[in-house]
Amino acid sequence: MKVKLRPTGVIALRALPQSKMRTALRYVPPTTLIGAIAYPLLHISGDRRETIYERKTFKSKAESAMGLFKWTTIKTESKPKLYGSLLKINTIYQREKKVQSAVTSFPFAVLYGESSNSLTVVYLIDEEALSESTYSTKDLERAAWGITRLGSRESVVSAEDVNRGKAKIQEVNEAKTKYAFPFKGVDIRGKGTLQTVVDWRSGIGDYSNARRIVMFYPEGRVEVQGKLSIAELDGEVIILAS
Amino acid sequence: MFLSVGVRFEANVEALNMVETAGNYGKHRRVPYLVEEDGRLKTVYVPAMSGESLAHAYQEHLVNEALSADLPVCDDCWRMEFYKSMNKVHLKKKVDPIPDDPKKIEEAIVKACVVEDVGGFLYAEKPPVRRSSAFQVSYALPVKSVALFATSEPQLHARHAQMDASSKKGNASEQMIYYVETGTALYGFTFNLDLDAVGVSAITSKPILDENEIKKRREASLKALFRMLSSGQFGAKLSRFFPVGGITELVVSVTEHPFVVTSPIYDDYLEKTQRRLKVLESFGEEYLFTAATGEKVPEEALKEAIDYLHEKGAF
Repeated sequence: MKVKLRPTGVIALRALPQSKMRTALRYVPPTTLIGAIAYPLLHISGDRRETIYERKTFKSKAESAMGLFKWTTIKTESKPKLYGSLLKINTIYQREKKVQSAVTSFPFAVLYGESSNSLTVVYLIDEEALSESTYSTKDLERAAWGITRLGSRESVVSAEDVNRGKAKIQEVNEAKTKYAFPFKGVDIRGKGTLQTVVDWRSGIGDYSNARRIVMFYPEGRVEVQGKLSIAELDGEVIILAS
Repeated sequence: MFLSVGVRFEANVEALNMVETAGNYGKHRRVPYLVEEDGRLKTVYVPAMSGESLAHAYQEHLVNEALSADLPVCDDCWRMEFYKSMNKVHLKKKVDPIPDDPKKIEEAIVKACVVEDVGGFLYAEKPPVRRSSAFQVSYALPVKSVALFATSEPQLHARHAQMDASSKKGNASEQMIYYVETGTALYGFTFNLDLDAVGVSAITSKPILDENEIKKRREASLKALFRMLSSGQFGAKLSRFFPVGGITELVVSVTEHPFVVTSPIYDDYLEKTQRRLKVLESFGEEYLFTAATGEKVPEEALKEAIDYLHEKGAF
């Protein structure tokens, strides 16, 4: 399923959620893409749960949607710019007569300019997992039209187009792609950005001890060589994570 | 039911959202706008308003609407200080002793405060409890086609103080000049409200409140949005820099499940939103779309949406 998204200008994703250093991610990781479609999907089924507590651990309900996808990736039309104003935060505790002040910054990725800034997300649906779930293909399609945010806060997006089709997975030694892929055992010809993201297989929600992987986000089309699993959609190629 | 609103508003000489100060210079919030010139990318900084600023204003209106409807608002929110039960000190004001069960913590907070029910909270203690905001706001950014005409211009002001020799301290001057950077732009932003989240637990998915209370809270959250947009009471420095202008266009969609109108920063947002909504018909979903772009004023479009929600039994 291919979903074309339009940002409202800003995508705010924290690279290190538990850090004083508020670095933002420049590109959208797979965990965020799963979270983005999980919210409308759960809404359709009437499930309002966000956090699942299991003894002393807790995770995001978005994880329940993770099994429906073999892989998800994104194509970013233009290179986002990281930007953050300096902010002074003044806190006055009126009862405790305490005054606090701090300077911080919440950077974000800006997708705003003369170019289209569109984002195209591909969700590779596992049909077997879908048939065993309570969801139908139509539910997934409606959920894609209902993606509201990529991540947190002001990262509002609108789904502009949704296309569904069959994709066959093939093994090849060479491929050309505009979509992000894991940077592992590959040779690349072309420009792009490496970004460390949470490994989606670690689950969604608690990232303090989650494994990280390195993803390559192409600028335009790049040529990739290696042992690749690929899927073709509408004449475009995506490289799957091994 | 899910409400999505796209707003375009003209604001001339405004100081709606300020960030750092450098000495006597107060800077307007800005964001980079990327332009291609002779094959090279150039950055132009344009004035902007953060979603956080708009969200704060919305929650202030929500406090007022909740209080006038006799709905509960906690002490912190009543003072327009949206700490949102962030730690034990703030939570203890609502429930003491603090329960160990996250479900009971969420229940206590939601029952005690409409703002934290609708606007979400994050209790960052053990166990951590979070509730996502039922409303979402984008940044307000200059409409792309006219973004390069947006300006951030410093305005010179002077403060005066009467001082005689005995009251003068150090190098304090009787006159002090200062600058306020003002923005001028045609802004666009998106506001979403997920009405199905109000009064329902984000842990168990079950209602925390009775149906009547949930409906009252939904109505208050809709009225707060109406009030915020129709009064232009959002952003900072309204007392001396109230923006010249107002809402020029507004579109509203009401759907059964999440759907976001195309952002008004794009010129084709109206047609695109209508075409995208048409697709929902294939899912057997009813929706409402209304726009204030010509004859209709924003208040009429918003009222239409609120009436539709009332017909549908949302409140």
